[in-house]
Amino acid sequence: MVKSLIRGIVMYLYMVDASIRAQLQYRYAFVMNILGWAMTYAGTAVTMWVLLFSFGALDGWVFWELIFLFALAVLSWGVCMIFFFHFRSLDQYIVNGTFDRFLVRPVHPFFHFMAMKFDVGALGQFLFSIAAVGLAYSNLNLHWTWQWAVFLGAVIGGSLIQGGLLVAISAVAFWTTRSERLYWVIMWPLKNLMNYPLSIYPRLVQLLVVFILPFAFVNYLPALILLEKTGRIFAPFWGALSPLVGGIFFWLCFRFWLLGLDRYKSTGS
Amino acid sequence: MSLIEVSHLYKKFQIAKRQEGLWGALRSLVHRDYLTKTAVRDVSFAVNRGEMVGYVGPNGAGKSTTIKMLTGILVPTSGEIRVNGLIPYQERQKNARQIGVVFGQRTQLWWDLPVIESFLLLKQVFRVPDHRYDHNMAVFSDILGLDEFLNTPVRQLSLGQRMRADIAASLLHDPLILFLDEPTIGLDVLAKERMRQFITEINRERGVTVILTTHDMSDIEKLCRRMILIDNGQVMYDGELALIKELFGKERVLIVDLEGKTGSFSIAGAHLIKEEGNRKWLRFSREVTTASQLINRIAEKYEIKDLTIKDTEIEVMIRHIYEKGIASYESNPLPDNQ
Repeated sequence: MVKSLIRGIVMYLYMVDASIRAQLQYRYAFVMNILGWAMTYAGTAVTMWVLLFSFGALDGWVFWELIFLFALAVLSWGVCMIFFFHFRSLDQYIVNGTFDRFLVRPVHPFFHFMAMKFDVGALGQFLFSIAAVGLAYSNLNLHWTWQWAVFLGAVIGGSLIQGGLLVAISAVAFWTTRSERLYWVIMWPLKNLMNYPLSIYPRLVQLLVVFILPFAFVNYLPALILLEKTGRIFAPFWGALSPLVGGIFFWLCFRFWLLGLDRYKSTGS
Repeated sequence: MSLIEVSHLYKKFQIAKRQEGLWGALRSLVHRDYLTKTAVRDVSFAVNRGEMVGYVGPNGAGKSTTIKMLTGILVPTSGEIRVNGLIPYQERQKNARQIGVVFGQRTQLWWDLPVIESFLLLKQVFRVPDHRYDHNMAVFSDILGLDEFLNTPVRQLSLGQRMRADIAASLLHDPLILFLDEPTIGLDVLAKERMRQFITEINRERGVTVILTTHDMSDIEKLCRRMILIDNGQVMYDGELALIKELFGKERVLIVDLEGKTGSFSIAGAHLIKEEGNRKWLRFSREVTTASQLINRIAEKYEIKDLTIKDTEIEVMIRHIYEKGIASYESNPLPDNQ
């Protein structure tokens, strides 16, 4: 058991290494990708600044608090991208018929597919989010102790929640052969929604992102504890549950993916 | 016991029926009718260790579907498969260790990486011991001339080079069985020849059992003694290639374009197998009539605009066997003469 786990990790590292070198083949695209993302996020931050310049605060959230909220989401999205962003291209593999190769190798196809790309483009996300969290931390005069554990939990839980949704969306391609659109219809609006405090949205939306697609656990709920804000609807300790919620949500999405794989094995397209 | 045993294998697919027009398209969003297509129908065969078998048939005959079931990619609808004692779709990963697979049109290598990197990754994935890897690489490089492009990214390889790299990659872990799905498709004559030589050598020297699908008859002629013919998902013929060649080798097809009205067309000594307007396909046997006799006979009755003579194509053979069975052919090889 332990031995096969170690073997798995060694193999994963080999493939990660190869994948990084493959991405470095296109140097210009590699650099532009990273800079592009970092600048896109900085742009959103500027929008927030403009917004708050006129209004002062958004539902009790001042500028640096909003930046923190935003940067926390970008940080866990970055981690998630590294491991799971490749799932967005699953439908391409299915359409081209190249997915079959994962089924003729002595490795679990989920693991093999995931290891095919270790997306270093996420450096752009890190570049922005680490700087933004750092600036927010000092501007808000935060002094965390145990809160660091909550923060880490939020990053891990947040990447599992977002990664889980990527995996689940990709699995739809096992039935329909196409899933790229769903990404834009589900994932993208959800991510944008979470850039602002949940309290400004209607009740229905709040319930959706807490109980069904638990994106509230990516940044809003953890931020309530970390910034010592008293949530009007949710007790602050909810935010500490991110890793647990992330684990459960990811597992469900993984099961859904396996269901799709079974379907693929019976239809082959 | 045979290495591969397939008995009463079926594979059925549900295909959504397309509805006509906009209204139909909208309706199909809510309700769809499904058609059941049987891609593989009651297929049974056994392959012994060290055999090289050609699995032949026209496009859509069920070749790839069968290969996918043998490799564990697809789960059969019913029937049994044993590959060296394993049930491929149940013990897929275990089965993967004992087989090598090459899909002619899709590479299994890492697209953006140099060829050698893909080999090293596969060495990891299949846990190939160092000495086996080194030995295999030496042998394959020698026969396939891999050295000239080992450090080239896969995306920059020519099709011929890529196929060579792909087949070497599929053999790195010393598989018992090699499945080749259209291994020579799109290759030029030289590359085809090289590929065939390599396959022959692998089969002879290493005793690797080879199952290859193709619709290029010359592949089969050069490589296989045994051929399994499949059409519409059914096995039409399973046996010596020599027998088929003997039966069909003496036959050719004359295609004539005629001028003017032809009415009901028939010619003594040849069998009309197809007609499209004024173009007629006539099958004739060398034992009954020569091509020039036949042409003369046609010219007496009709005005010939153009003509070509072709050896019997695989599709035609399959069609014939499909319609009449191989037995009918043996007992009555003469073309019908109405």
